[in-house]
Amino acid sequence: MRSSTFSTLLQGVYFVVIGVIVVLLAKASFDSYVLNILMQAATYAIAVFGLSIVLGLCGQINLAQAAFFGIGAYAVALGTTDWGLPFWLCLIMGMVLAFVAGGAMGMSTLRLGGHYLAMVTISFQQIMTLVMVNAIDFSHGPDGVGNIARPSLFSTSQSYLAMSVAVLGLVGWIVWRLKTTKLGRAMRAVRDNELAAGVAGIDVFRTKMTAFAICALLGGLGGGLFAGGFAYVSPDQFSFAESVVFLTMTLLGGVASPIGSVIGTGLLILIPEWLRFLKSIPGLYLAIYGVAVILIVLFMPDGIWGFITKLFARKSPAPPVAEALTLSPGGSPDANDAVLEVSGLAKHFGGLKAVDGVHISVRRGSVHALIGPNGSGKTTTLNVLSGLYRATGGRVMLDGVDVTSLPPYRRTMVGLGRTFQNIRLFRSMSALENVIIGTERPGNTAVGRGHAAVEARALAALDFVGLAPRANELVTSFSYGHQRLIEIARALAGNPTLLLLDEPAAGLNSTEKRGLHDLLERIAAFGLTILIIDHDMTLVSEAADHITVLNFGRRIADGDPQSVLRDPQVVTAYLGADD
Amino acid sequence: MNFTRRQFSAGLAAGVAMPALIKAARADGATVKIGMVVPITGPGAESGKYAQTGAKIAVERINKAGGILGKPLELVIEDDQTTNPGAVLAFSKLASQPDIVAFLGSIRSTQVHAMAPDLAKVGKPMMFGGTDPALTHMGAQWLFRCRPNDSFSGRVIAAYGSETLQKKKWALVHSTDAFGTGGAKALTAALGDAGCTVALDQGYPNQSQDFSSIVLAIKQSGAEILGSYFTFETDLAIFARQLRQLGVTIPWVGSPSIIDATAVKLAGPALYGTFGVADYAEASSEASTEFGKAYRAASGNVPPDNFSAWTYDALGILTTAINAAGSTDPAKIREAIIAIKGYKGAEGEYNYDQNGDGLRGYNIVRNEKGTIVFDKHVEFKS
Amino acid sequence: MDIILQLLFQGIGIGSVYALVAMGFVLIFRATNVVNFAQGEFSMVAAYMMVVCAVDLGLPYWLSFLIALAGMVVIGALFNVCVYYPLRHRTYLPVIISTIGASIFLANTTLALYGPQPQVLSGWFDTPGIQIGPVYLDSQYLLIIGVTILLVAFQYWFFEKTLIGKKLQATSQDKEMASLLGIPVAAMIMLTFIYSALLGGVAGILVAPILFVSIQMGSTIALKAFAATIIGGFGDVAGAIIGGLALGIIETFGAAYISVPYKDGFAFLVLVLFLIFRPQGIFGERVAEKA
Repeated sequence: MRSSTFSTLLQGVYFVVIGVIVVLLAKASFDSYVLNILMQAATYAIAVFGLSIVLGLCGQINLAQAAFFGIGAYAVALGTTDWGLPFWLCLIMGMVLAFVAGGAMGMSTLRLGGHYLAMVTISFQQIMTLVMVNAIDFSHGPDGVGNIARPSLFSTSQSYLAMSVAVLGLVGWIVWRLKTTKLGRAMRAVRDNELAAGVAGIDVFRTKMTAFAICALLGGLGGGLFAGGFAYVSPDQFSFAESVVFLTMTLLGGVASPIGSVIGTGLLILIPEWLRFLKSIPGLYLAIYGVAVILIVLFMPDGIWGFITKLFARKSPAPPVAEALTLSPGGSPDANDAVLEVSGLAKHFGGLKAVDGVHISVRRGSVHALIGPNGSGKTTTLNVLSGLYRATGGRVMLDGVDVTSLPPYRRTMVGLGRTFQNIRLFRSMSALENVIIGTERPGNTAVGRGHAAVEARALAALDFVGLAPRANELVTSFSYGHQRLIEIARALAGNPTLLLLDEPAAGLNSTEKRGLHDLLERIAAFGLTILIIDHDMTLVSEAADHITVLNFGRRIADGDPQSVLRDPQVVTAYLGADD
Repeated sequence: MNFTRRQFSAGLAAGVAMPALIKAARADGATVKIGMVVPITGPGAESGKYAQTGAKIAVERINKAGGILGKPLELVIEDDQTTNPGAVLAFSKLASQPDIVAFLGSIRSTQVHAMAPDLAKVGKPMMFGGTDPALTHMGAQWLFRCRPNDSFSGRVIAAYGSETLQKKKWALVHSTDAFGTGGAKALTAALGDAGCTVALDQGYPNQSQDFSSIVLAIKQSGAEILGSYFTFETDLAIFARQLRQLGVTIPWVGSPSIIDATAVKLAGPALYGTFGVADYAEASSEASTEFGKAYRAASGNVPPDNFSAWTYDALGILTTAINAAGSTDPAKIREAIIAIKGYKGAEGEYNYDQNGDGLRGYNIVRNEKGTIVFDKHVEFKS
Repeated sequence: MDIILQLLFQGIGIGSVYALVAMGFVLIFRATNVVNFAQGEFSMVAAYMMVVCAVDLGLPYWLSFLIALAGMVVIGALFNVCVYYPLRHRTYLPVIISTIGASIFLANTTLALYGPQPQVLSGWFDTPGIQIGPVYLDSQYLLIIGVTILLVAFQYWFFEKTLIGKKLQATSQDKEMASLLGIPVAAMIMLTFIYSALLGGVAGILVAPILFVSIQMGSTIALKAFAATIIGGFGDVAGAIIGGLALGIIETFGAAYISVPYKDGFAFLVLVLFLIFRPQGIFGERVAEKA
């Protein structure tokens, strides 16, 4: 494929450039000031890469990167001086320690987000600083640790710098590629829409934890190299203020890109240095620096690199021709067994019984509709079915597996696919990437090995809903109706056993509704089981084989469309009783 | 678009090249340059101003007297932002200028520790004011101290309290930074030698907002006398005020920060009647008085203190040494500094040893209703 | 017992300082959903204005106080216009960075204008304090505690009993709804920033006689106040007060009975425990995302 050869070429160029820089650094001669600046920039940039993963890819805040940087630095510092260990061992030790600490911090994301998470990270940072300052017997306290050893192969400052930059280049490549891997996509999905990510089969909690752990690992790596570079560390180098600097570096350059990270790091180290000539008035250059930070945030929303890439934005290439989508729901449609067996399902919010003792049995291969007036408990039922709400009572069997207490992504693994009434796409990604995430559903048997197969299937799914030619465009550039189709394609690509559609016709015009009806028929033709919720009676009565009606959280009717729609109780529920 | 791109890369190139251009412009040999690392921003900015004033007085005096090797002395100043990495960067910026012959380091021991590895690589003399005894006992041949080290301040505090004031039961309060813990360690050792007991040894973190728990602990400990090592003036002043408010009136002998001009101003009456050890005391010698006059004249009658006295002395000693060596060769300067005996500086009489320690004595001073009064000088042989 | 009472007073005193700054945090957070990292600098700037007026220019204390408050109104308004408002439609991250930039700017501009010397500002009262039995009560701390109580009462009256207060509340709860109801949302946010700058200013001026006036005074208090805000819960002013007081007391007793060097750690340890076991704070605020 064209885009992949381009990408291979780009990677080749990248490594050549890094190689040239490394050789130049090793050969050219610098004075110690430039050397120190470059050393600081290179090691900081590695830590900033880490932050760009947690912040840029995964959308979580981390105000403790300096603490992880410090863990790496102190491991090398104490290891090579007090404990007499070899440099590389200390470096790895520091990275492992940081990795574990970062993972532990990531665990707090289970319950917390946003500012609360920010606070946990600040607390961790403060406690680390206090330990570094006060555990004098262990850490040498505020004196810091001096005479830190370097590996014998890189004992001169210049060769050490070249080595650090080589590491930087390698890490940069990994971070750059990470974005387009399964893990990277999962992180971006979590950032864009946590709920949808879970429903698409991503273990949100583990993804966040991984992001934090990798971020901390890179912080530790940067810190370890920093310690060797400067041969001296002390607690004030790893304070909260430094964490803020790291964060600013990440945002300044542009969060989602390693090049942006390098730019941000470089600038934030260089700006105060350039402004040194203003030193005759104390504070002036830091005041200007503060203003510069505000101006960049105001006028370059995507960071400096985002600003530059926007100037040179390429038109997204057209995708290759799509193959036909196959859906293999398994089981025979005539077997008359139930894919979904809901019994006695209840969901209470405090005293409110939103769903109360509902039974639904969805036959394999059928199109089953769940209807009811507003507030009847339809959407609540759907949310309990997909695991967004925890059931108060009852049991949900999906394809023979009891999923009642499983989190959303585990149900998706069992074979559930769903769409949302208010569309939940991953807004920063292209249509194709959105569908790829669906394709990567754990337990998807309809896709071959390797990324090419995943991409081919995702494209086939997009083609199935008629949007393949625009596969590489950002989802935000699509109309409302098309976004809904992309959501359906995302669910279909995962080859679900059961497809839940939450008011798919809402907000569509009549042409789009007809298209949707056709689409449902084509899906049903594969023998895929569909559970649909909608207000649109025409759509429901034409498409469904079986209808369940809810009112006030209870099932009031169940059966084939004709008989259910004539049921006086249903008529009363919809039209109101004649008094 | 292309134009924008070219503009951008031109800007980038100019930015990268700038430090080099500045360096080239400076390379002329009309003066003898000495680099100075000093806090201009950050929490130490206050003391940095004093240090610069002291150095400037010295430069004027030296240049009036004929300069160094017949050339005028020029100071090249870099901001260390009161942080260790800041000090390392500032120092490396100075170190990259080959025409700088010697350096004034920092009054903060941790910063001197931070710069020490780079200094060893550069191989030029650095005068510094940090008082951590280890700095001159770790085999760093280019470090020369212009203040007495803390092993002496501890001994002087202990001697004055136990002998002159006749108090045996002590409470110690110190910052948990390098300066505070090092000082408290030295004082504890000296008190042990003097047969005193330590009823309370309490560290506190810098920039504390409340000291009441420490004050109450002192009250409870039944100590007869208080010894202290404070780093920042605001901490000292808050502590002093709470100490008096909560009714602790035992005698108090503190490290030099207790008679620091800012601390005296901030704490006001709370510090009246306290004693301090001071490496600089205006009335302690002729040279001290002379410097005091010059400093008051230069600063609008602000009383001088050790922050300015040590930089003043450091430049004087360097000038004497370079003139005696007749060369700016680092090894010869080192020889000449070590050979200095009986140099009369503002801080006292300098007699350098092989380690790079020049001073072995402290003055005891008293806060007499806001004015610092010289009490006596205590000198040790080693 | 004497010692416990004394510690309690000191803890409540320093806790009230945290509480005052925390109130500013909460107000801005509720109105805009961002944490203002420059809140501490508001306090610092106000204290310096007070020093300029009352010490350098020798104006009467009350007049200096009014001038400083007027200055805070201007700063709060400018802060909104330059730092927050252009970013109002973006996520909270750029806003956080922007406020960090502002805090660096405010601290260092003050340094450039006034120099690095810490300054003395005398207290409101001439008597430094009173001795009641075994306990010494610092008059400035008494004043701070008194003002905190007054401000809580004022806050209650303002938000619950006045129309403009109700409009402010509506804005902070749901901006879209508020603007549909014809509430001038932009003006309300402006008002919130001005009010929280005032609160920060009052806190700075009140604590200056105790902690002295220095460039760093703002950032050290602000971090603690931030912790207090979390303990109390971001959603509620009363929570901020309780959080501040709790933090002050925990710190003081922790320092007295556990460890002085680690006393700053207690605050954060309590904080982490709170976050893990009661993330909604003392008074509760919904944390989970709506489905």
